[in-house]
Amino acid sequence: MEESEGDHPPEMQQVSLDHNDDLFQSALQEEAPLDNNSDIFAEESVTSDPTGQAPIQQSGVPTSLPSSRMHRVTTAELQQHGANGDDQYVRVSITEPQKMGEGMGAYMAYRVSTQTNMQFYKKSNFSVYRRFSDFLGLHDKLTEKYLRSGRIIPPAPEKSMIGSTKIKMSNQSDQGASADFIERRRAALERFINRTANHPILRVDPDFRDFLESELELPKATNTSALSGAGVIRLFNKVGETVNKITYKMDESDSWFEEKVQQVENLDAQLKNMLTRVEALVYQRRELSQCTASFGKSVAMLSNCDEHNSLSRALSQLAEVEERVEHVYAEQCNADFGILCELLKDYVALVGAIKDVFHERVKVYQNWQHAQVVLNKKREAKAKFEIMGRTDKINQANDEVVEWESKVERGQEEFENISRMIKKELERFELVRIQEFKVTLINYIESLMQNQQQLIQIWESFLPEAKAIA
Amino acid sequence: MLQDDSPDASEQSSINKKSNKSETVDLTDNSLVVDISDALSEKDKVKFTVHTRTTLPEFAKTDFLVVRQHEEFVWLHDRFEENEEYAGYIIPPVPPRPDFDASREKLHKLGEGEGTMTKEEFAKMKQELEAEYLATFKKTVAMHEVFLIRLANHPIFRNDHFFRVFLEYDQDLCVRSKNKKELFEGLVKSFSKTSDELLLSATQKDNDDFFEKEKDFLLEYHSHLRDATAKADKMTSRHQDVADSYIKISTGLNQLATSDHPELEKFFTKVSDTFEKARKLEGRVASDEDLKLSDTLRYYMRDSFAAKQLLYRRLRCLADYEQANKNLDKARTKNKDIHAAQEVIDAELAQQQACDKFEQISIKAKEELVEFKKRRVVAFRKNLVEVAELEIKHSKAQVQLLKNCLESLKEEME
Repeated sequence: MEESEGDHPPEMQQVSLDHNDDLFQSALQEEAPLDNNSDIFAEESVTSDPTGQAPIQQSGVPTSLPSSRMHRVTTAELQQHGANGDDQYVRVSITEPQKMGEGMGAYMAYRVSTQTNMQFYKKSNFSVYRRFSDFLGLHDKLTEKYLRSGRIIPPAPEKSMIGSTKIKMSNQSDQGASADFIERRRAALERFINRTANHPILRVDPDFRDFLESELELPKATNTSALSGAGVIRLFNKVGETVNKITYKMDESDSWFEEKVQQVENLDAQLKNMLTRVEALVYQRRELSQCTASFGKSVAMLSNCDEHNSLSRALSQLAEVEERVEHVYAEQCNADFGILCELLKDYVALVGAIKDVFHERVKVYQNWQHAQVVLNKKREAKAKFEIMGRTDKINQANDEVVEWESKVERGQEEFENISRMIKKELERFELVRIQEFKVTLINYIESLMQNQQQLIQIWESFLPEAKAIA
Repeated sequence: MLQDDSPDASEQSSINKKSNKSETVDLTDNSLVVDISDALSEKDKVKFTVHTRTTLPEFAKTDFLVVRQHEEFVWLHDRFEENEEYAGYIIPPVPPRPDFDASREKLHKLGEGEGTMTKEEFAKMKQELEAEYLATFKKTVAMHEVFLIRLANHPIFRNDHFFRVFLEYDQDLCVRSKNKKELFEGLVKSFSKTSDELLLSATQKDNDDFFEKEKDFLLEYHSHLRDATAKADKMTSRHQDVADSYIKISTGLNQLATSDHPELEKFFTKVSDTFEKARKLEGRVASDEDLKLSDTLRYYMRDSFAAKQLLYRRLRCLADYEQANKNLDKARTKNKDIHAAQEVIDAELAQQQACDKFEQISIKAKEELVEFKKRRVVAFRKNLVEVAELEIKHSKAQVQLLKNCLESLKEEME
């Protein structure tokens, strides 16, 4: 059934949304088997193609498995809430950064305003206030819930000791020092939330919904604080992970993954390379802007001491021209940074998230292999007992074998699931990325063009002044 | 100033340019036409081919060439500076020494970094640097040419004996550049001259209002010009840096194009292409600003310095005149009882000469300064108009380029 492109959401299935039991249903998403030629998008209508060319099909509703504790979104729910087609949206804007509190306890709060037409949310227009650690907490929760199944979780902006200190230190009157930083952070938070809101599964996650709509203050995410006990533990775990990443060599049988891992590495390198170049451009342009201002001032001095009337006037106009040109350069610099740099930085971080999910898969594989190893041992033990005729031990050994057999089975299933999921996520990621890169590049070229047009205006207004020199 | 037409990328840095006269050329008088028809850049020096066409009888031929180096231009300038007869004139400022150090250093750095960039990138940056080098070269030729043209068009200077030697004598002028001792002496001399200057300006009361005002004006004007020139240079150099960084963006995008998702390939390639074209335009803006703005400021900085020198010479004259007056008084007092004392007659003569010299120099200087001011107004007007027109032209070209890019990118989106 194709998605209609009307302005009303597609027909809902009969299951009511507010029943808590729905939310506790199965953890696993892809029970329905993918046949070879089924549309990759069949289960989730992942396409973000603006022209809506990719047909959006809905596969049969899978049955749910026995409940798990996690409230993760099921495919069933997804279909209830409508597929990720063109007419379902959750748009978030982050505004009004305000400093709350004083001294070391001070922090920035942001207004998070959402517009949505999804039934999953209570209203269609609403806003709440959140602090930076809330965003990090959200990211952590989503990672906890979905990373293991192979989802790419959009990364949150980094914590910055310098930045947060700036905020704590600045008083009411002196906003300048932190203003830039705050604006950049606000923009970054906005991109983070919207990327998450664009993800078909994550956006109908209850924790995500709570973040957006719950009027209550969210429980302080102390775990996210860099200096907390949890933070230290996280650090240790990270180190362990890193060692694991280096030392464990997975036996890759899937050529798709072999290729993709390489591609991702490559993309990572390219993006970082590009980022360096763009940062160099930003630097040069900023320098140019400053030099232009400086030059303008010296021209003004020249104009002041020149006794020839029309020349003096023209020079003072030139000084003004240079000042206006400097503003244009500064604007361009902001565009260089805000549009290109930030895009590249976001994607370097996203590639990091992809690598994380690749690594998750390796861990799942490790798990499975480990279970296999233990199973073999148990089988050996059982066989030994059988040979030795130790009937007292045989039953227990048998139980253990059965236990580990099912663990191996689950391990394999988990591995297959995560592999499948990653494939899907990556396909979606590529589509989104391609779109975003195109749109961003167009925006950037437009900014270049607008600024050049401004330059034309500025010099055209000067020309008659120059000609008027008698 | 020389128009910046696109250079052909040839290995040897010599140019055969079509002459482009400066604003001081008197188009109706072809009796002495000087230009630099060729120039060759060798390792450490530049050889200028000075070409003269003349109808004046004082010259042996009517059309001839000599080869001169920068030091010989300096020699010529010094001959004018030290000539007492020209004390009342603004001596055209000597052109600056050809300076390729910056370009050479950039080329050197590029060579060092060759391993870190792709062949394509290296070739592009090298090309850009070579263009810069060529532009610097053209500029120095233009500046040397303007100096000669100004001399050739000056009713008095053109008849100078040393000028003729410079133009005609087909051997080296055997001008060795100053050795260390002479350089030091020159430095000391210029120090004492400046302190002299200050001294004079303080103690010499100038009863001529015009010159008082001129002195104040020139001191301030020269200082601001110097500042503006330095800032303009910095600005144009930064602008060139921005243009250069476009190269890296363009090549980076190319790399992405070939290795990334095929659907992005066309996009990246188009944007890369646009950046490549845009950087050429940005480079032109930088060099045009340099030629029209920076060089004008630089030239008038030098010229106003020459004007200051003129004022100084006049004040020296005034000092000498007043001294001669004092001597005369002394002589008269000493010899008041002697009729037609020799001392008095000598002193009277000396005083008369000093007076004449001072009055002549004052008349001449006034003319020169008025001329100077007119000249600068004309030059500024011309160059400000030209720079504005060029900025508009280049920005329009860039807008067109970016429009085209946007159109084709938006097509890709559909």
